[in-house]
Amino acid sequence: MGGFLEIDHLAVRYGNISAVRGISLQVEEGRIVALLGANGAGKSSTLRAISGLVAPASGKIRFNGEDITGAAAEHIVRLGISHCPEGRQIFPDLTVMENLRIGAFTQKSRKKIGEQTEFCLNLFPQLADRKAQMAGTLSGGEQQMLAIARAIMPSPRLLILDEPSLGLAPLIVRDIFRMIRKINEMGTTVLIVEQNALQTLKVADYAYVLSLGTVIMESPAKKLLENSELVNAYLGKS
Amino acid sequence: MKLTKTKTFPYWKYIIVCLLFLVMLPLNAAGIVSGSTLLILGTVIFYAVVGVGMNILLGYSGLITLGGAGFMGLAAYLSGFCSTRLGLPFILCLVISIAVPTVIGLGIGVVSLRLEGFYLAIATLGIGEILRQVFVEFEPFTNGFSGMRAAYPKLFGIVLTREVTYAFYAIILLIVMILVHNIVNSATGRALLAMKGSESAAQAMGISLLKYKLIAFAISTVLTALGGVMYMHLIKYSYPTVWGLGMSLNFLSISVIGGMQTVLGAVLGALFVIAVPELVIKQLPVIGTLTGVAYVFNGLFIVLVLLFYSDGLIRIGSDVKKLVGKIRGKKNDIDQRSGT
Amino acid sequence: MSNFIQILFSSLEIGSVYALAALGIIIIFRTSQLINFAQGSLGMFSAYIAAFFIQGGESSLEVQVMKHSTIIAVLVGMLAAFLMGVIIDFLVVRRAKKQTSPLALPIITLGIVMMLTGLAPIVFGGNPLAFPRFIENASVSILGVTIMVNSIVCIILGFMVLAAVFLFLQNTVWGLAVRTTASNETTARLMGVPTKIVTMVAWAVAAALGALSALILAPSTVVDIVMMDGVQLNAFIACVLGGFQTFYGPVIGAYILALTKNIFGFYISTTWGTAINYVLILIFIVIRPYGLFGKKTVKKV
Repeated sequence: MGGFLEIDHLAVRYGNISAVRGISLQVEEGRIVALLGANGAGKSSTLRAISGLVAPASGKIRFNGEDITGAAAEHIVRLGISHCPEGRQIFPDLTVMENLRIGAFTQKSRKKIGEQTEFCLNLFPQLADRKAQMAGTLSGGEQQMLAIARAIMPSPRLLILDEPSLGLAPLIVRDIFRMIRKINEMGTTVLIVEQNALQTLKVADYAYVLSLGTVIMESPAKKLLENSELVNAYLGKS
Repeated sequence: MKLTKTKTFPYWKYIIVCLLFLVMLPLNAAGIVSGSTLLILGTVIFYAVVGVGMNILLGYSGLITLGGAGFMGLAAYLSGFCSTRLGLPFILCLVISIAVPTVIGLGIGVVSLRLEGFYLAIATLGIGEILRQVFVEFEPFTNGFSGMRAAYPKLFGIVLTREVTYAFYAIILLIVMILVHNIVNSATGRALLAMKGSESAAQAMGISLLKYKLIAFAISTVLTALGGVMYMHLIKYSYPTVWGLGMSLNFLSISVIGGMQTVLGAVLGALFVIAVPELVIKQLPVIGTLTGVAYVFNGLFIVLVLLFYSDGLIRIGSDVKKLVGKIRGKKNDIDQRSGT
Repeated sequence: MSNFIQILFSSLEIGSVYALAALGIIIIFRTSQLINFAQGSLGMFSAYIAAFFIQGGESSLEVQVMKHSTIIAVLVGMLAAFLMGVIIDFLVVRRAKKQTSPLALPIITLGIVMMLTGLAPIVFGGNPLAFPRFIENASVSILGVTIMVNSIVCIILGFMVLAAVFLFLQNTVWGLAVRTTASNETTARLMGVPTKIVTMVAWAVAAALGALSALILAPSTVVDIVMMDGVQLNAFIACVLGGFQTFYGPVIGAYILALTKNIFGFYISTTWGTAINYVLILIFIVIRPYGLFGKKTVKKV
């Protein structure tokens, strides 16, 4: 399916502040890879560099072998990377359906849009019930589902999720992670950034731990789960 | 690292500016600077006074008004009326002409609690327009479209000449700048900045939004009204069309172009918006004679200045310092490397 | 009754002038996040171009143009405005948005106002120009009141253009792209929406709407540099009345404003009617600070 992402010594600066200081990581096709770390570790900045919202100060980003460093956000979506942003960022004045529709902006085939819409509504039945509702009136969990659904509307090869569990109750978080696993089973590679290490490690295949802009640890997710004290030591919480 | 600030006299720059204005007088007496140029510079002075008021509102408090011209006009008409029709001494005219608009300005301060940003801007615009309509309609008071006439200020029984009025105004500007400098660098000034930065945070720190918005509008209106009185007694003629949206927008330009978070910026802005078109552009050969050319260049300069110096012309000062610093730094490097 | 019909039609006609200008302002405000003070001047300049085109005339640049029909002149004017909008967005607004404080942007539009106001007499001469109606010398009688056919044409034209814009915004994908750009530009880019192009086209369309507004107004007054001053003021007030958070708010606000203005003007007096209008609206927005259709946006602290 072609979702192979490679990051090579990435550095991201905002003015004089270094958010990311030389991160290298790989996301293998078809896998779920987690980027863990506390606030300010540089996770979101890494994602923004990948999806083209911010230009890296140095380093390279390669997607399926193609160099996409510094490419425009609008272009990167067309290449097959879809970013579900931090804080959901659904369009509150638009309906659920309109949010989904704009997610598929880059998709030209009407048939595919229809199919993908149906897939999303099946995957997230709560959204199907609220098709015509204004997105701003949805609950936090529903908004997160909408954000994820919107992100998979263009049938991406690589789905990037920025802190999907933020501010949500544990039960809802469990549901959402279950759906993320489903999406991955259908063939989409997933890169997920999270502070909630435990839940994430349960679904992920591989994990990188970030701190202060660098990767301090990487390992298969199962190993990290087994060594939970190690993870806690690095993250300061579970 | 210095832990204590050496107390330097901070008013030098204002005094220098005032002196630069005053030096025009002997130049005028010597025939180098014409009378009309003096008049234009006098106009710059009272526009700068209004500009300082705008800076308090815009730059320090984060509040906007597009109705400034209405208040300036109100003060101008009041002062004209009190001095010519009622024959009151200048000081009394000054007090009345400032007090009345300020009361209205305080009213707007109260309203500004409810309205934000563009809504406040348009509301003040509406008030300015209503005032302008009043100037047209209240003929027995304002003489309607024919306009009202006034004379140079009459201090202690003596009517001043144009030159003395000019000097008087330069001194007023100096006093205004020093006073506002003190306000801005005091606890009040810091409270205003806090309010501008984030109203919620300011409130959380115990800053009463009502009190400080009222202060901001009060100071700004006082200065605008003062400018109006100065207008009336230097230009000596006021008619309603002057006090429209165009003038209010000029105030905004003066503030933003000069540097809205400074006191001195108002002078720079006024020079740029008022003096440059009259003194520089209209003097240019050939193109200077075309009607509207001054306007075109003025507009072009505004666009260019703001594209490159969005914090205001006053930043040119710090850029020059940086350049000088760079040259000095390079010289030091060269000296060090060559071992001198 | 006849008074009512008279007021109704003149309100609808001047209402469409205000509404088109107001829609232009709100489109730019919502997509570029700036208040365009140059809306009226762009309309004025386009009106000059159209008037020039239709009359052929001598100016200090001595250009002779053939006579053409009114409709073509209007289209020429709108096209000129469209191009000016593109140029302004490309050369100025885009460059400005990166490092400029948000307050400097409206002042830049003021600079553009000055440039256009200064250029007009240089290019087109200092004399006011006339612009013809779509249909001259024709009137109908509606319930005993004489109404000019041209007025009806203008009203319908205004409705159609406004309806076209709204249908586009609500029912097409590109309209959705505009609305998402207006709502959250960064996230819209993540969807693949070319927000830079959207903003540019928004500027251009807004300018064209301003041109149409000026050209509907032109026949009942003259084409000169101050022709749009009153309209622009009313367009801003319509935006405040209708609220800055929707596209349709200012349009409805514009028609209401025109109606109340005419009612007060007729029953009280034309000059004080305008002032009373403003006072009432000021009182209204103090009571409802976000306009008729606005909602309080909860700011995250």
